[in-house]
Amino acid sequence: MLRSFSPGVWLVLLLALGSTLLIAFLPIAPRPGMDLWVFDRNHAETANLIAADWNRAHPEIPVQVSLLAGGAIQARMLSAFYSDTPVGDMIEVERSMIGQIFAGPIEDVGFTDLTGRLNCGGLRDKINAPSFSPWTRQGHVFGLPHDVHPVMLLYRSDLVEAAGIDVSQIETWDDYFRLMRPLQVDLDGDGRPDRYLLASSPTNLFNHELLLMQAGGGFFDANARPTLNAPLNARVIARLATWYAGPGRVTNEATAGTASALRLILDGYVVGILCPDWMAGTLRTSLPELAGKFKFMPLPAWEKGGRRTSVLGGTMLGITKASPHQEAAWAFAQQLYLSPTTAARLFEHALIVTPIKANWSAAIYDRPDPYFSKQPVGRMFLNLAPDVPVRTSSPFYTQAQGAFNLAVIQLCHYTDAHHISDPALLVPEAQRLLDGAQAELLRLIHRNIFLRPASP
Amino acid sequence: MSPRPGDRASLTSRLLIYGLLVVFGLMTLLPFIWMLCASIKTKGDFYTSQFLPPGHGFLGVAWDRLTLSQFAQLFRDLPVARAMLNSVFLASVCSVVATLCCAAGGYGLAKFRFRGRETVTSAILGTVVVPTALLLGPSFETLFHLGLVDHYAGFILPTLAPAFGLYLFRQAMVNSVPPDIIEAARIDGCGEIRIFFQIVLPIIRPMLSAFLVISFIGIWNNFITPQIVLQSPERYPLSVAIFSLRGLYGDDNSLIMAGTLVAIAPVMLLFLLLQREFISGLTSGAVKG
Amino acid sequence: MKASRSFSEWTPWLFLAPYLLIFGTFVAWPLTRSLVLAFEQTYGPKTTAFVGLLNFQFVLHDPLFWTAVRNTVLFTLAAAVTQIPAALGLALLLNRPDIRGRRLFRLIFFTPSIVGLAFVAIIFTLLLEKRTGFVNSSLHSLFPVWDPDFPWLESYVMPSLIAAALWLSAGFYMVYFLAALQNVPAELIDAAHIDGAGPWQRFRHVTLPEIRPVLNIITLLVVTGSLQLFELPYLFYNDTAGNGPENHALTIVTYLYQTGFRTGDLGYASAIGWVLTLVLVGFALLQRRMTQRGES
Repeated sequence: MLRSFSPGVWLVLLLALGSTLLIAFLPIAPRPGMDLWVFDRNHAETANLIAADWNRAHPEIPVQVSLLAGGAIQARMLSAFYSDTPVGDMIEVERSMIGQIFAGPIEDVGFTDLTGRLNCGGLRDKINAPSFSPWTRQGHVFGLPHDVHPVMLLYRSDLVEAAGIDVSQIETWDDYFRLMRPLQVDLDGDGRPDRYLLASSPTNLFNHELLLMQAGGGFFDANARPTLNAPLNARVIARLATWYAGPGRVTNEATAGTASALRLILDGYVVGILCPDWMAGTLRTSLPELAGKFKFMPLPAWEKGGRRTSVLGGTMLGITKASPHQEAAWAFAQQLYLSPTTAARLFEHALIVTPIKANWSAAIYDRPDPYFSKQPVGRMFLNLAPDVPVRTSSPFYTQAQGAFNLAVIQLCHYTDAHHISDPALLVPEAQRLLDGAQAELLRLIHRNIFLRPASP
Repeated sequence: MSPRPGDRASLTSRLLIYGLLVVFGLMTLLPFIWMLCASIKTKGDFYTSQFLPPGHGFLGVAWDRLTLSQFAQLFRDLPVARAMLNSVFLASVCSVVATLCCAAGGYGLAKFRFRGRETVTSAILGTVVVPTALLLGPSFETLFHLGLVDHYAGFILPTLAPAFGLYLFRQAMVNSVPPDIIEAARIDGCGEIRIFFQIVLPIIRPMLSAFLVISFIGIWNNFITPQIVLQSPERYPLSVAIFSLRGLYGDDNSLIMAGTLVAIAPVMLLFLLLQREFISGLTSGAVKG
Repeated sequence: MKASRSFSEWTPWLFLAPYLLIFGTFVAWPLTRSLVLAFEQTYGPKTTAFVGLLNFQFVLHDPLFWTAVRNTVLFTLAAAVTQIPAALGLALLLNRPDIRGRRLFRLIFFTPSIVGLAFVAIIFTLLLEKRTGFVNSSLHSLFPVWDPDFPWLESYVMPSLIAAALWLSAGFYMVYFLAALQNVPAELIDAAHIDGAGPWQRFRHVTLPEIRPVLNIITLLVVTGSLQLFELPYLFYNDTAGNGPENHALTIVTYLYQTGFRTGDLGYASAIGWVLTLVLVGFALLQRRMTQRGES
């Protein structure tokens, strides 16, 4: 009987036996102490450094840092909060993941409410106020903010200066596109422009929101009620559509954190990038070839005298309710996020400026950065930190983002189809599309029987 | 006169066929070749050339700029070796046990007349049309109640009873196991278990080995279920581990390509070794059944 | 020793026991649960309520669901008209005794179907990148009129997915056709040849009727598989949880997965799943009817 089976069967049987033995002899060690989940390599390095200090001082309750993909953290976190499966004691949560955590009654949120702890030592006043906003629901704060992430405009100073363009005259977006226009050129002689003035595209939903918030618009009001169709939003996307599409197009995609975007930036296909502090850090590490060829300016304003910055991304550190080590986790969280060491390291390593106001006076932020043509980048970001727009987190954030983004793309199609370059002509269509988006979002919200107003 | 049947086709038409085959073959292989080249280029060279970086070496290729450091990084700094062990373990154990489970079930349904047989058969085969996605949520719930989330068993157990497998083995039993042999063995005093293992299984061995390989590859490539069930990175199979590289190392495509290669190569090897029984087993159910 | 001509009553159950145990726990029970869940709504970790037919009422008027249906049907039609002819065409090319290297070509065409969907998504999203991707940069250097910024992944969502699926599946179905073609009796073809039938007529009137059963099975496989399309778009457009630009990549199962595992509303997800099940059952019955009519 044994001989009658093919070698393939034996091979698989052998693999089964061998791997079972290996798995049995290589057990997965249970993690002692506290587990901290992070989704970013730079964050992991910083956390490991602080954890090493902590573990020397607290050998009885050590901290282990687990680097996981963002999607995996999101899935495990939801599974833990909904079904009580095992979860880290502390989790770094990215802005885009937080909305879902806030679904349901506030007492069911899976993270520990930190409001009391923040208020009692006056800790809250020591931290840049807008930085709390994404992690706050109905006045309750569920995480310690990691960052401020103000946005500036990063531009290729080598190209701009070679063309003799005087950036000091740029105050608004209109100024920017008008003065930079000579730089949008065909590089390979095929009759199509290859270099564009700003890195973005109709599908870049993060940039839409960034620019919308700069203008003072948003998806939700302060009470987390959807405001997708506010007239201001319509005016903003009408202008965005003329950047993205139609005869006046000035943008091309090169902002996602991918290798291809880096390549496009390196090869000079874009002039300007909407660049928060963390992205500046990534560019400095990934594209050493461009040292001395970049400079920052505050974001051009939508209107004269308008806001010169916005915000992109953001991370909080939350303590899970399931953690048996609430006090130790809080102590570690403070050490990790509040210490001057972390602030310095974050800045030196990743160019991220701290939300802790006490650390803002440190001299490192004034140091000229040779990569960015000797600009004092840290100080430039910090000067904008208090102006960073306030954000609202809603369980329907993803849906709002989706509906809004759909409206932007459809408006771009409209712009292309009608060859429009004057935003004023687009406003009615923009308003119509956003009304649709708002209705769609409200429909999704009202499907939820728990959110319906009590019937009379 | 019209050409006699069986005549060799004219040279031009044969050349045309060869031409088409080569073109389609190249199109099929291009992504593999591209991936192979990308995995041995440095991160900086990734976009400077389509395949290998040009230089002054043999065939105009800069051989000295190629590197294996991505593979070293995968196995030294990243838990890819453990992920590979997990993949081998899950794929082999699941496929062996599922094959036995389905073969025994198919035998039970095909070679015995008993009350309730029709009900059981149609209940099982009816679930073939149920989309697997419908079960994801409630299965996770069941696994949670059984305490199997983030355990290997939580992934393994649900894979052991595919309706498709039962169908294939039931067909194979009906078509190729003559009832007389079983009767004769019973008269000789063989136990039922012995009949199954010593007489029935050897008869259907082509189906057995084909199903084994098919399940192995299917489990190896499964992405969604392990992503939901096996939550700790130490338990990730390669599919999940490599895909998560895209999130963490999005700026290093060479590393991602090397990881993809590492994840594809073992099943590719297994398939090359066993392609004959694989392909014949694959088609036997549909074509002859 | 006991010599018995017949088996005892529990013998079949012994063989069925392991299968039935697993099947009952991980298929039958969850299936029953999903039926209950389909009448419930969940909001947040601990809040669930019975809502009657609300989920089903909502799904029929849910524009996102209908977008998903439209995309899924579009993909299914495209998959059927690309994959089946491609597979049959490759099989016909290879089904000639006077061609050398047939086994090598068969192997080459088949290899993509060994590659997991996660890896296909990784490879194809890199190949189809705008300016830097292999496809655009090759086409641009071969034909300078080709726009190097051709937005495959951004504006040609379905064609990109269809191309990836074609690469993945053509060789897989080819193997079935090849096996069927090899079972077509040579005498039939020879007879048609003698009657003076041209290649197309021979294919249409002799080969096609002979391989029709396999064609039917493959159509069923392609259609039911495509209606459940999920991993490919989900992983292609992982950053938007599988929606893709303008929701062009959103499929029924992706929507099910999103509502169940990202929004945490297993109730609505189950309702979507049951609607899909009805569609699949409907298609299977329809196909069976058509097959039977074709045979009679």
